[in-house]
Amino acid sequence: MALDLKDMADFLKQTPPFDMLDEQRFDYALDHAEAIYVNEHNTQEVLRSGHPLLYVVRSGTFDLNDKNGKHIERLETGDVFGYPALLTGRAITNKIDVLADGILFSWDEATFNYLRRYSDAFERYFMQAQSERLLTEQRSENQAPDWTELDIGSVINRDLISIDSASTIQNAAICMAEHKVSSLLVVDDGQLRGILTDRDIRNRVVAKGMSYEVAVSAVMTQMPEAVYARQSLFDALTVMNQANIHHLPVLDDDDTPVGMITTTDLMKQQRSEPVFLMNALFKAPDRDALVAEAQSIPQYLRTFASRVKDISMVGRLLASLTDGMTRKLIRLYEQSHGSAPVAYAWMAFGSQAREDQTLSSDQDNGLLLADNIKDGQRAYFQDMAEFVCTGLGDCGIRLCPGDVMAMNPKWNKTSLEWREQFKKWIQSPTPDAIMHSMIFFDSRMIAGNTQLYKKHREAVAKLAQRDIFLGNIGRHIGELNVPIGLFNRLRTKSEKGGDYIDIKTQGVAIINDIVRLYALEQGLTMPATPARLQALQGSRLLTKSDNQNLLEAWQFLTQLRLSHQLRLQGDSTEPVNSVDPETLSTLQRRQMKAAFRIIKDAQQGVGFKLGRGM
Amino acid sequence: MIKKWITKHSKSLQGNIIASKGGDRQQQLRGRWQDARYIALDLETDGLDPAVDAILAFGWVPLAPPRIRLFEADYGVVKSEKSLSQSAVIHHLSEGDIRSGEPIERILKRLAEHLDGAVLVAHHAPFDWQFLQQAFNEHQIPCQPLALMDTLKIERNRLARKKDWLEQGELTLGACRDRYDLPTMRQHHALSDAIACAELFLAQAYQVVGSHEVSLRELLRYA
Repeated sequence: MALDLKDMADFLKQTPPFDMLDEQRFDYALDHAEAIYVNEHNTQEVLRSGHPLLYVVRSGTFDLNDKNGKHIERLETGDVFGYPALLTGRAITNKIDVLADGILFSWDEATFNYLRRYSDAFERYFMQAQSERLLTEQRSENQAPDWTELDIGSVINRDLISIDSASTIQNAAICMAEHKVSSLLVVDDGQLRGILTDRDIRNRVVAKGMSYEVAVSAVMTQMPEAVYARQSLFDALTVMNQANIHHLPVLDDDDTPVGMITTTDLMKQQRSEPVFLMNALFKAPDRDALVAEAQSIPQYLRTFASRVKDISMVGRLLASLTDGMTRKLIRLYEQSHGSAPVAYAWMAFGSQAREDQTLSSDQDNGLLLADNIKDGQRAYFQDMAEFVCTGLGDCGIRLCPGDVMAMNPKWNKTSLEWREQFKKWIQSPTPDAIMHSMIFFDSRMIAGNTQLYKKHREAVAKLAQRDIFLGNIGRHIGELNVPIGLFNRLRTKSEKGGDYIDIKTQGVAIINDIVRLYALEQGLTMPATPARLQALQGSRLLTKSDNQNLLEAWQFLTQLRLSHQLRLQGDSTEPVNSVDPETLSTLQRRQMKAAFRIIKDAQQGVGFKLGRGM
Repeated sequence: MIKKWITKHSKSLQGNIIASKGGDRQQQLRGRWQDARYIALDLETDGLDPAVDAILAFGWVPLAPPRIRLFEADYGVVKSEKSLSQSAVIHHLSEGDIRSGEPIERILKRLAEHLDGAVLVAHHAPFDWQFLQQAFNEHQIPCQPLALMDTLKIERNRLARKKDWLEQGELTLGACRDRYDLPTMRQHHALSDAIACAELFLAQAYQVVGSHEVSLRELLRYA
């Protein structure tokens, strides 16, 4: 190498496929690179200027969109793009949106071809990348985005109405009256400090006879939930529903407050049925009314799914609705039986916790009780669990055949008892124990005492970081059957008169298992598979591209499964979690193979990292 | 708004233009800033005084905004039999590096081919230019850059508009790059620093001009 470009060399040595080049080709790549500083003002100029190039992101964040503005990929440090145009000779039609300015390294076609010719690994990488890109480019064409997929930033009023935390309550009220709003952001030096609503003034000031001269900081809600302007309205809806709030501060990417979004804003959007449905569930005066409202959920989900491009939103919406119904049932119970005698947390497990619920999912839940409970007080919670679980069952979330429900006394216990149970599983990880305990590591609090739950969840995460336990999970994963054989052939199973592949058990569930295992190793406590993958970025357990691939495979299979279920009519005899590959399009079949190949590779990866020598 | 700012500051003398005679140079000054030729450069020296201290290493890279022509980057260590002073702590060059270096004339000639008539971009550019001037004169190599683009000064001016005083260390190359979210690089290696400075300049320039059509002469008012 003629030059000492050490920083660039260090960076590229860790960036696939450059990490696979031998020394001579690596130096060749270094010697033929150019760097480009890309920002919103020059991006079109950069991509339009003539010949296709191979790009690697050195810094910054960019969105790769196709010519219709459809999102293909989020590009960050280490990501490679530009190769489809180089490989196919097609004109460049994709566009780049700059989220954060940064530097790209680029190589011309001659260099790209030279490296491909002299390095098999390099060539293979791009052949595979090209086929995996197909996975993400599949979503339906020429469809206007549903309102729930719009950016929050595109619907909120950008006039930020805020007040600083030292202002008096009276001034805050005057400000609200002047602007005709029901809530204010409390902002000091461009930082969000809190939120103040007219309800806070009513409940925390007027009702308590507090002086109007007191500073706003004394009565505001501190550190409120917030969303980013580039998130979707659906995200806003989910946060509002989960936190049970109606006003949500909106932040820019650098955490500067830019406005507020309210349930009223959401209702103003056309066809905002999720809001109405959630409101109807929320306002139901009694159990019967709730059950009646819930009957419209399956039909509603079908129309919702036919509109949205990203079908995985259905899983989140269904989880969100189940959360809402659970909370409503708990509130109804508390209204008739008085408030709880000790602190508790209602926990969802499995798919509801992971937010990948489907219409065929059953309920999985449990109760966590404070350790100071007295024997006579347990009955209150046993009755609560019966009321909520049977209520959910009548609402269409069927009872758990494996009896993992809070109404089973086994899953209705104190913090100490839960920890004992976890210790038992972790210290003697028989195959049976592993199979039955995994679901409990995907948990989310639905109602109750946050502190109690958080302490419990963190303690469990610590307990699980045991090599023998993790190694046995790894071995268990290694024995699962991924339906892809030699020469990438799909292995189907005869079932109900057809040849099927079970995309739940043999696909989605295995990805969930692998990702959960890595999450356990790292002590992560969030339940959703995409969120875990996000948190695992940069972990030594999973390379950046493996991480991305698993996410894409998961999304693809989840969507396939959901759209399959939504297509099935009520009286269909087809299996709900399996598809017959023959009924898929060529593209879908190819994508399905790519997805299972990714799972197979990841499964072998687990063996190398955690399943050995235990 | 940007036009207003520029006219307000246009009174100030263009002290950073070195040699603007000639059609090509005039054309560059009048034209779009992106179309001018730039050389981002860094020197390692064994002291701070161009009259007595020597250049130990050169690193430079040509720029064609928004591109940095890495494949044309160049690096040269000056051959010398002198022993290294305390400055070795900073620049990490060893006596071995220096013994096996190139004669300075050769490096200077190579540099002059690119730098003559181009804009010299450097962090604290007057410092590097003083050393270069001294060396070019000493070896009688003609080389006149068009102008100096000082990334340190651009940053100081930018920060001065935002706040009253600057803390020590706020204007180092690394600190400036952090402000634009540019990745961390090893420091005090002439070529790394030259590339680091090239990236910083592009980040600064786009932040200053945005998507406005701005000439090189107008951009130089910020430096």
